[in-house]
Amino acid sequence: MNGIVFGKYLPLNSPIHKVDPRAKIIALFILIASIFVPKSWWCYLFLGIIIFSVVLISKIKISMILKALKPTTFMLLFLLIINCLTIKTGEIWFYIFSYPIYKTAILNTLFIVVRILLMIMITTTLTATTKPLDLTLGIESLLSPLKIIHFPYHEIAMMISIALRFIPTIIEETMRIMNSQKSRGVDFEEGKLREKINAILSLIIPLFTVAFQRAFELADAMEARGYVPDKERTRYHQLIFTFKDLMFVIGSLVILGLMIASRFYL
Amino acid sequence: MAINFKSLTYIYDEGMPYAHKALDDINLSLIEGKITAIIGQTGSGKSTLVEHLNALLLPSFGSLEILDRTIVAKQKNTGLKALRKEVGLVFQFSEYQLFEETILKDVAFGPKNYGASEQEAIQKAKEALKLVGIEEKYYDISPLDVSGGQKRRIAIAGILALEPKILVLDEPTAGLDPKGASEMINIFINLNKQKNTTIIIVSHDNEMVYNFADNTVLMDHGKVIFNGLTLDLFNNKELSDKYNLLKPKIVLFKELLTKNGFKIDPNIRTIEELSKYLAKEINKK
Repeated sequence: MNGIVFGKYLPLNSPIHKVDPRAKIIALFILIASIFVPKSWWCYLFLGIIIFSVVLISKIKISMILKALKPTTFMLLFLLIINCLTIKTGEIWFYIFSYPIYKTAILNTLFIVVRILLMIMITTTLTATTKPLDLTLGIESLLSPLKIIHFPYHEIAMMISIALRFIPTIIEETMRIMNSQKSRGVDFEEGKLREKINAILSLIIPLFTVAFQRAFELADAMEARGYVPDKERTRYHQLIFTFKDLMFVIGSLVILGLMIASRFYL
Repeated sequence: MAINFKSLTYIYDEGMPYAHKALDDINLSLIEGKITAIIGQTGSGKSTLVEHLNALLLPSFGSLEILDRTIVAKQKNTGLKALRKEVGLVFQFSEYQLFEETILKDVAFGPKNYGASEQEAIQKAKEALKLVGIEEKYYDISPLDVSGGQKRRIAIAGILALEPKILVLDEPTAGLDPKGASEMINIFINLNKQKNTTIIIVSHDNEMVYNFADNTVLMDHGKVIFNGLTLDLFNNKELSDKYNLLKPKIVLFKELLTKNGFKIDPNIRTIEELSKYLAKEINKK
């Protein structure tokens, strides 16, 4: 499980770590929106430089971003093939086994590659610099205006934070059960299909049992400590939205504005 | 024959900012055919150490010699499955590994994975279940429907059915009642005596370690502090004070007697030996 980097929090100390989670979430959405606006390569260069410097400031290693990108390579390859097969406009660039490859097909794929790269950079920065708990606090706070229409924002935030809290536990549990079964001769890597299905079963059944058991225990523990979902709650850990956080959001809004403007003037 | 750790280092999450050295240059020799206990504070690297024994973890640096095999860091190791049959590892809270429909099937799962026929596997499973004291009437019920202590026994039977030469147990008695725990330990002692199985037990229970382990390894912060006779470790006042060892009752009693003017032979280990000696001393007066 050591290979999973996407969504992992990195306990470092950087200016980005200190930004209010709400500001970061809002900025994330604004920046992702601005990635999809422009049509010119210059804009992508500009966006790339900005996002890359944010990554640098947050002290995330580039290798980690690359690792997060790895699972998407297959999808992108697939996309390239589909694009080459379907897009038949513009000039022909070259031939593969006398099959014409159009310039637009390659360029379109490149656009998508760049967009996905930038998106992964932004989301990795958010999750790597924000503690999962702060993230849910931020989501809860952002959703709280919805209480007017009786949207259960607190319950949803609680569910997300419990789910996030238990990801490492479940991973640990998975590792432990995998190791136990390996000790009993289960081979998770090799073997025939039937053996593989059996191997997966020997992992999934105990995992489910444990997960349910944990869920019941947690529910009991919460009830025993008097948890009532719809009661108003106070917090020990308060989020404070400072001027800096406001600047962070305004900065991303400016970028979005520039990108929209580029559609008209470039 | 012995199991040899040679300058073995293990680092979790190597190369990440939160990398953590769990084992630090371990040089250790464990004698086969004996009962060896591994003790130490939580986080001292005991579990990491034993997970190397059946190659679930591979060393970051250094090497490990076990049963005619040498596992060297950063080398491609093949045929680990064969090693895992010879070195049976029972994990902490092993009851979570149960998954088959019936207890008998679950115990037979291991032997079947190592190529035993259905009949052979069932035969081995029955023997293993008998060994851990699970009665025949339980064979056909689900392993999830029995008590925690029984689940633990079934999980251990699942490893015993492989008939390993080396049996490694991580906290096998944690969470069991005293009677269940001592029954469990007796199963391991019998295995050691009858089949000459090497037993390696990770434990927090110094009382149990003192009573049953031939040798004891004391670990602290990923290093081996002591490896030798169990009695020598607990008689060593300096070490047990420095590492805050919870002393077994007999050791405490011996210390109290020494304080009050008795001359106690340090080789006295059991309560029977001690009472005999005391009876003799008192009769002299």
